[in-house]
Amino acid sequence: MNPNVLAGLLNVVMVLVAAPFFQGLQRKITARIQARQGPPLWQPYFDLFKLLGKEDIEVGESPVMQRFATYLSLAVVLTVAFLVPMGTAAPGEGIGDAIVLTYLLTLMGICTMMAGMAAGSTYSLVGISREMMSMVTLEPLFAVAVLVGALHARSLHLDQVFNGASYSTQGVPWSGLVMLALMILAFQAFVQRLPFDMSEAETELMEGPLMEYSGPKLALFEFAHMAKLVVFSAMFIGLFVPWGEALYAPLAWLVFWVKALVLVVLVAVVAAVHARYRIDQAIRYFAAMTLVSLGALILAVYGY
Amino acid sequence: MLSKVKEAILCLKPGRVTLPYPAHAEPIADNFRGVPRWNGEKCIGCAGCASNCSARAILVRDVCQELRILEYVGGRCTYCGRCAEVCPEMAIVMSHDFEQATNDVTDLNQRLDVFMSTCQRCGRCFKVPDALEQLKMQGYRFDDLEQARWVFRSNAFLEGDPVVEDIPVELD
Amino acid sequence: MLKNPCERMFGRSLWVYHANSGGCNGCDIEVLNALTPYYDLERFGIKLVGSPRHADVMLCQGPALRATAVALRRAYDAMPAPKLVFAIGSCACGGGTWFDSYAVLGPVEKAVPVNFYVPGCPPRPEAIIYGVAVAVGLVEKKAAPVHFKQAEFPIPLYHPGQLHGVGDLVVYEKLEKI
Repeated sequence: MNPNVLAGLLNVVMVLVAAPFFQGLQRKITARIQARQGPPLWQPYFDLFKLLGKEDIEVGESPVMQRFATYLSLAVVLTVAFLVPMGTAAPGEGIGDAIVLTYLLTLMGICTMMAGMAAGSTYSLVGISREMMSMVTLEPLFAVAVLVGALHARSLHLDQVFNGASYSTQGVPWSGLVMLALMILAFQAFVQRLPFDMSEAETELMEGPLMEYSGPKLALFEFAHMAKLVVFSAMFIGLFVPWGEALYAPLAWLVFWVKALVLVVLVAVVAAVHARYRIDQAIRYFAAMTLVSLGALILAVYGY
Repeated sequence: MLSKVKEAILCLKPGRVTLPYPAHAEPIADNFRGVPRWNGEKCIGCAGCASNCSARAILVRDVCQELRILEYVGGRCTYCGRCAEVCPEMAIVMSHDFEQATNDVTDLNQRLDVFMSTCQRCGRCFKVPDALEQLKMQGYRFDDLEQARWVFRSNAFLEGDPVVEDIPVELD
Repeated sequence: MLKNPCERMFGRSLWVYHANSGGCNGCDIEVLNALTPYYDLERFGIKLVGSPRHADVMLCQGPALRATAVALRRAYDAMPAPKLVFAIGSCACGGGTWFDSYAVLGPVEKAVPVNFYVPGCPPRPEAIIYGVAVAVGLVEKKAAPVHFKQAEFPIPLYHPGQLHGVGDLVVYEKLEKI
């Protein structure tokens, strides 16, 4: 077997095991910032186990579509985890490249929309309309980030794009730095945490598209939500924080996960001190950033 | 941007304010009104508490001339303290218990079967009424203990209908 | 296969849905107080969710009104098994001061089956936390019925003409005629 495929499977296992831990870390940090004790770090594991054993009430517009949307959402997140290098080389070469990755990321958003439409209640429909609006203005941003890396690396293979290729120009990598700034500003929106969780995890206000899901399906959706944080952190680190990847193999893997931990802590801190943006404020914000990212793309084409 | 960082640091200053509640309890103020406790030794059976209860949660039934049953239905009590305030013998004390969660609401009931004290002049509690007078007497109390409601007109109780009817509702 | 870990984890991760069917909001505020930093309930894994389909426990407060009993029943039916219902406050436990009002059907038991009662008006946040601990099985319940009896039934009726004093005692002598 291609050893890189083993690395991909290791990624999937790590995401399966570590995603609830990162979510627990986020809840604990949020609680500490709010001056209270907070749940234990393993709380999301308890939540998932409990949800998996509850009765599955299937009511909504179309239960078949509900099941399909649930399984597809988890499958897409795990596929992205398989493709993205997390401390080791990616299983590229015919399994996936940057274009497939961009489409898979869009598919994640579409899964949420399918989930909401399959449920069919009013709150779900409002939630997915918000998801659609934010996806339209947000997905181009990530596509441009990946493309800038691909343009500098002159290749679409993931282990070359996610190797800090955004910085590999002669002189000062302007496009890379612009994309780094934009991705820092928009990262919370990709992982659907505050201040940008208007669409899906809006549990405080309306429950969003997940309103009609109960028991095991909810467990899978929650898990997909937790795993998105890990997977997007991996992509962010691969694109913009690549130092330490050239070390001896197990050490590089550890360095990667330490970087992911730091990033999750930062995401949690930002999420704890912000309030939620309204959808129109958020769209204006994203649209402005997408326009600037197109400028960065033009710079990258000309080699800056 | 910097204001958010300052906000995060400010939030960390109080540390952890969570009270370790199940580990040890917080001190309670002296005039805290918890569950009212009746002292059967002191109670004279005057039913002043029952007349003053805000939720009509104290029920009275006279078994015979001298014996009165007082039942406190804890499910309805609002812990207002009027019963304790009005009791002439100070037989009711608003204790400091508030941890009264149960899975059976009749666990909260208290029931006293007490002798009523007698009139100082004539030595009787009340004139012994015959059956007809018992139905019409106003001072004679015969509340519906089984359904935990007061009975305002005794013949309503005899007919088998409660005074206030349950309004039927169709639940789908 | 999945039932067993669910039952074991049930007490450590309770998701709560709050349903106020006509109360004065006093108990609402006490429930929300229990989720604030002072009496943090989230350290026991309890999370407030907005949809009954995600919830394990329904906290009902306020009596069941004629207008809202149907809605309360629907929220109860929307919850997936295994589920618990708590009745918080005097209005939900026994109807409170409003038990015989024209708009009130009675306590919440008239609309949904209740598992645990937490009396109080409003119950302190500590009382609510105690109620959750009793439900999970951490502590034993403290409330017990009290019955004080000064006499055993049946008792005979004494006519004052039939009692006369002999020394210190009062003797009852049933006479044929007074």
